[in-house]
Amino acid sequence: MDERSYDVVVVGSGAGGGTVAKELAPLCRDGMRVAVLEWGPKLREDEYTGREAEMAEKLYFDNGGFLTRDGTMTLAFGRAYGGSTVVYTGTSLALPEEVLARWGVPGLEHADLRRRSEKYLGENNVHLLEDDKINDNNRLFLEACRTLCYRVEQFPVNVKGCRGSGLCNLGCPNAAKQGTHRVQLPAAEAAGVEVVTNCKVERIGDRECVATVANPPFGEPSRWPEGRYRIRARAIVVAAGAVNSPALLLRSGLPVRLPALGRYFTAHPALILVGEHDRPITNFHGHPKSYYCDHFVESAKFLLETCMYFPFTTAKNLIGFGSEHAKMMGRMDRMQMILVLAVDPALPENRVRVNTEGEPVVHYRFTDEVLDALVESQRVAARIFFAAGCRRVHAPGGRSFSIGADQVDRLDELITRDAFKLGKVSISSAHLMGGCRMGTDRATSVTDAWGQVHGVPWLFVADASLFPMCSEINPYVTIMALADRVAERVRDRLPELSVA
Amino acid sequence: MHLDPAVPGGCNAAVPPLSERKWVFMMRVAARILPAMADLDDTGRARFVAIVSKALSERPPAIQRQFGLFLGVFRWTPLVRFGVPFDRLSPISQDAVLRWFLDAPVSKLRSGFWGLRALVFMGYYGQPEVWPTLRYTPSFKGNEMLHG
Repeated sequence: MDERSYDVVVVGSGAGGGTVAKELAPLCRDGMRVAVLEWGPKLREDEYTGREAEMAEKLYFDNGGFLTRDGTMTLAFGRAYGGSTVVYTGTSLALPEEVLARWGVPGLEHADLRRRSEKYLGENNVHLLEDDKINDNNRLFLEACRTLCYRVEQFPVNVKGCRGSGLCNLGCPNAAKQGTHRVQLPAAEAAGVEVVTNCKVERIGDRECVATVANPPFGEPSRWPEGRYRIRARAIVVAAGAVNSPALLLRSGLPVRLPALGRYFTAHPALILVGEHDRPITNFHGHPKSYYCDHFVESAKFLLETCMYFPFTTAKNLIGFGSEHAKMMGRMDRMQMILVLAVDPALPENRVRVNTEGEPVVHYRFTDEVLDALVESQRVAARIFFAAGCRRVHAPGGRSFSIGADQVDRLDELITRDAFKLGKVSISSAHLMGGCRMGTDRATSVTDAWGQVHGVPWLFVADASLFPMCSEINPYVTIMALADRVAERVRDRLPELSVA
Repeated sequence: MHLDPAVPGGCNAAVPPLSERKWVFMMRVAARILPAMADLDDTGRARFVAIVSKALSERPPAIQRQFGLFLGVFRWTPLVRFGVPFDRLSPISQDAVLRWFLDAPVSKLRSGFWGLRALVFMGYYGQPEVWPTLRYTPSFKGNEMLHG
């Protein structure tokens, strides 16, 4: 086994790991060595083809369809140089003060998080898209929400030179999205940080990682030769995401007892809803996600966002089969789409575990409140579709394949909880949170408010697994702000830490 | 791989991780779930098989075993009500079986059918060659298409 030695090793290069890498990069000027170990590949620019099946294979775990243990929800999370920031839509919101208050983490103050969030909003060129770049799919949502007096806001997005491919979730083919693969990682590398791709960390020992480098048949080859490695470090920062960070720590056999490790997993379970217009609209051209409606977050625990997905993802989310399914699929140019996301509670039984092979297994139970929110959100989305002019709407909890515009007054009886069956509907999640939650109580948390694992001074966590509850908004800016805090703590503590 | 012209959407070779018999059955079910499967030419059917077999092969072994088992359950469950397996039913009865699995009283059966349906859709809609028939024509320069 090849042996390497660094001052700091970061596991993962997404919103958390990429941020930590860039913030620690100045240490390289002082002769320190920092490495980022990323499981996924760094794609060449010409490999961003926008082809759904091909890009899902290259950029996501399990092609974007990682199943929870009982098969009732799929989880989408990235595996690439830049992690999930390669495949999100770039929507950039800072954590609301009231959500942070609900988190209730002593030592985590809103003013501090806000200041750090604003730093990354600036660094990532976050801004509102100009009106002439808003397509019909988004504009119709905005106008319908206003007609219905629902509170609606425009998403700030982190793009530079967006050409409106609409392919954000498959990796931007125009290099416009300012994820960590475009901003923080190149800056870190320029300052001397080594980013090692195609490198899977198998376990963490006492101030060391064991990892394997294996190149897939695409992307740039790793900077390290293929093989197994033992990498020693004075500090290790785990930022592998809310599924893989807890899984890595669970299979590592840490020298401390952490009963909350893997628990309190939340996901913003989501449904894709489709309305059909009687004429073509602009939908798959232009940025796909420009507006959100948070009108119902407090009262009914769900939010709505514009979205536009690709043929397979769309087909999978329509209930049914045969000619009626095919007929709707044959009119993608008439589709309006809304993503509804439930605000789910952090429960100890919703957790990441590892199987006998050490692979992650996610246990997730839908509460009655979450199921009620998902049903009610479909009724609200249907009202928005009809207010936008759709002639029919497909709702996964509908009693029939589609609901006509003349039935808008009967939505409560046409979209019902009993028709909304787990295993039948496609529930998905791209906001994976918790599993290494912050806090002060070792019984219910894994790290302190600065991401240091309780009782292990050289081990830190810096990703969405830190969230003690769900964020109620798109999480990536919050991940960066928390990672910024973790990097600061690592810098401060490093003089006290030594190699094993 | 050989494609069986006698079977709409047929495939008469074992392509891992499914046996030849399971592929033949899978293609018959696919044609019922997605009528447009019948319009695929040999190349399209070969692409379908390639996409589905790759997706299945990359799943954990336990999931592959569960899927193989579900295909068996799916094939033989109609025996209880109709006295014959799925592939010997009339198209109308086959659709009734599909509808029963879609809304099955047991969550595991619904999840299994969801997985089967998802694989069929992946194999078909995952082919960029069929996108124009859906009126889905993405462009890297989508903004240029927004205003006529």
